[in-house]
Amino acid sequence: MSKLASTRVALVIPAYNEGEVMRGVVTDLYKVFKKSPYDFQIVVVDDGSKDNTSIEAKLAGAHVIKHILNTGSGGATATGLSYAQQQCFDIATTSDADGQHDPEDVLKGVEELTRKQADLLIGSRLINNAGMSRVKVLGNKGLSFITYVLFGINVTDSQSGLRVFSKRALAELKWKTSGYEFCSEMLWRAKQINLNIGEFPIKAIYTDYSTGKPHRQNNWNAFNIVKTLVARRLVEFFGE
Amino acid sequence: MSRYVLLVLLNIPLIFAALLSALVDFKLGKFTRKKYLSQTVIWIFILGALASVKFIYQFLFSNGLTQTEPLSLFDVVQITGIVVVLFMANRSRIKLETLERRVKDLHQELSISLSEYRRENEKK
Repeated sequence: MSKLASTRVALVIPAYNEGEVMRGVVTDLYKVFKKSPYDFQIVVVDDGSKDNTSIEAKLAGAHVIKHILNTGSGGATATGLSYAQQQCFDIATTSDADGQHDPEDVLKGVEELTRKQADLLIGSRLINNAGMSRVKVLGNKGLSFITYVLFGINVTDSQSGLRVFSKRALAELKWKTSGYEFCSEMLWRAKQINLNIGEFPIKAIYTDYSTGKPHRQNNWNAFNIVKTLVARRLVEFFGE
Repeated sequence: MSRYVLLVLLNIPLIFAALLSALVDFKLGKFTRKKYLSQTVIWIFILGALASVKFIYQFLFSNGLTQTEPLSLFDVVQITGIVVVLFMANRSRIKLETLERRVKDLHQELSISLSEYRRENEKK
């Protein structure tokens, strides 16, 4: 058995009301990883959805963890990674449930993590931002700049949902916020515990579905993210 | 008794309680060293400010920076009330944060355990 075949990978997908596309997202990921040498499990964290997200994920063959309450993207990601740690996975990935990420990029991230010996890899949509609207590019660059100003972390895409975690990151990385702001806070915590952070380029796939839903993250949400991050930074300044 | 002395005497027990609470929380591991130090500095600063109210007032008045009346009995009660509210708000915030963290952890563990339980049941 090769070393890669014994590497256990948890593919975590935090999801909220994504029943419409859930089965397709899980199936696509399954098809790509089935061809890979890794021993993998797809874990969908249903963050208290009101639709059939869990049923669709289960039918597609994913292990489903259902939140009783809606906690936000950060809370759902934390649950998925906590599960991966408890089940002794070697590597874990997170990717968006709306089909925004190419499964091939997820696989590429796992390979890059092993190759670079990194602890946390961010799939950056902004290294090559073809396919992204100017507004999205500007919003994401703005948040990356704010992340740099507040926490001193220089990454091109601080808000990317595609991330890859090493075993060490799974064991040690914890954050406190539960909304979208966890993306920046996670990088801050990773820096605090001296994790090796890296980036790799990914494609951004925006469909009518992913841009059309009302709860979807948009640039107005950036204000809430900044507000929470500044508050968190101030609280920490006086000691948590 | 001078109203300035009364102000300090009324507030000392509250500030002492706040400092003691911070120390106890630190010794019990609920506070980090940084948080303990910041809490201590904040409350000692408040005590220092209350103790020097008379000097601050005299300085401001003699330099024409204020035209207000000297400290009244109502002011003493009002400032003490503000310190009480500050003390209570601070304790409530700490308790709320602890509670929030516990609920979050509980929810996370419960969700994972339930998913495992469901999977085991499906296998049977």
